[in-house]
Amino acid sequence: MTAPTPEGRDFRRDEVIAGEYVLGVLSADDRRKVEARLASDRNFAAMVDRWQSNLSSFDEAYDLVVPPPRAFSAIERRLFETSQPEPIQPRRGLWNSLAVWRGLALASLAALVVMGASMAGLFKEPSAGTPLIAELTGKGSAVDLVARYDRASGRLKVTPVAARQAEQKSLELWLINGSNPAISLGVLPQSGEGEIAVPSAFQARISAGSVLAVSVEPLGGSPTGSATGPIIALGKARSL
Amino acid sequence: MIDEDLAGLLGRVSLGDRDAFAELYRQTSPKLFGICLRILGNRGEAEEALQEIYVKIWQRAGRYSQGQAAATSWLAAIARNQAIDLIRARKPAANVIDEAYDLADPAADPENSAVVRAEGRRIDACMEELEKDRAEAVRSAYVEGLSYQELADIFAVPLNTMRTWLRRSLLKLRECMER
Repeated sequence: MTAPTPEGRDFRRDEVIAGEYVLGVLSADDRRKVEARLASDRNFAAMVDRWQSNLSSFDEAYDLVVPPPRAFSAIERRLFETSQPEPIQPRRGLWNSLAVWRGLALASLAALVVMGASMAGLFKEPSAGTPLIAELTGKGSAVDLVARYDRASGRLKVTPVAARQAEQKSLELWLINGSNPAISLGVLPQSGEGEIAVPSAFQARISAGSVLAVSVEPLGGSPTGSATGPIIALGKARSL
Repeated sequence: MIDEDLAGLLGRVSLGDRDAFAELYRQTSPKLFGICLRILGNRGEAEEALQEIYVKIWQRAGRYSQGQAAATSWLAAIARNQAIDLIRARKPAANVIDEAYDLADPAADPENSAVVRAEGRRIDACMEELEKDRAEAVRSAYVEGLSYQELADIFAVPLNTMRTWLRRSLLKLRECMER
């Protein structure tokens, strides 16, 4: 874009390019170049932000036009309907939208939390020996967490399950090595009980660099043997 | 649109709150749809663009930080960018970034622009310092999402003249805003 000059970057030219981008006069190719630079050059990104806010008073020129009701239904369908079959593709957008899941390591998919005795008070008056279950839900999330507390051992186990929807769904765990087809490792138990026992044939295939992914599937798992629902989480295995 | 409310709604949307998303849509979609219609000039395309825009808003709400920009201008920028990307795909424009051009203007000191600082001046006062047709070209470029070629045709000047107009105008605006 702008070649560094002996005295440093050509700031006036950068200001012009940032302004041209915000005005919208650039070609599609040039817009992609600007966006690539936005991601790596904070000073340049600040120039674009400043033009954006400087020129935003021109937004007053736009009329208010109420869109037809079908527009919002279409948006909700696209964002929140998980029943449509979709190809197994890392869906960065959906992943980002699940704020709750951001930063959650796959290793914690079936996290064992050993709780102190003081926490036991959270669960009221259980009849002795019966495990307690709490369902943790979040609005708009494709997953719920089921917490299962065993009073005898003081262990609290937290497992993700597919969120309650009109149709019951399951979460299925997949193993992907390189460009090989995804292998199903099994369905996460809906009850919050138990863990996935990896079939012995696949145990040797899980190593650092393997990708684990979770998809939303019809209750009981994918009917086809490959993922049919959206991928809601995905990550590469690494050694701790 | 009341910005404080919108910032709060965006915060809730970033946590996956669908009710907040519906309310945000109710409050902001007439403006963003107006932007799409003005730039694309076609209802069907504007509706499609609006879908993409709200999908992006849902996905990017967490990146909005209060104080960085007014919520209204952050939302309008997403809408304008989407509409302009669509129209540039439909009607390709010439690439200009890599070509050499001369911005020489002895009055301006390059080092002045080295640090990006905020400024309090309103753009309107600075627009009045531009020659009338140039200010009009800047405003139509922004509002209508026009390319250099379309602007040159409308203002009946050669393409290179239009480029020089807008680039010099941008530098003058920058210099005026920092005064």
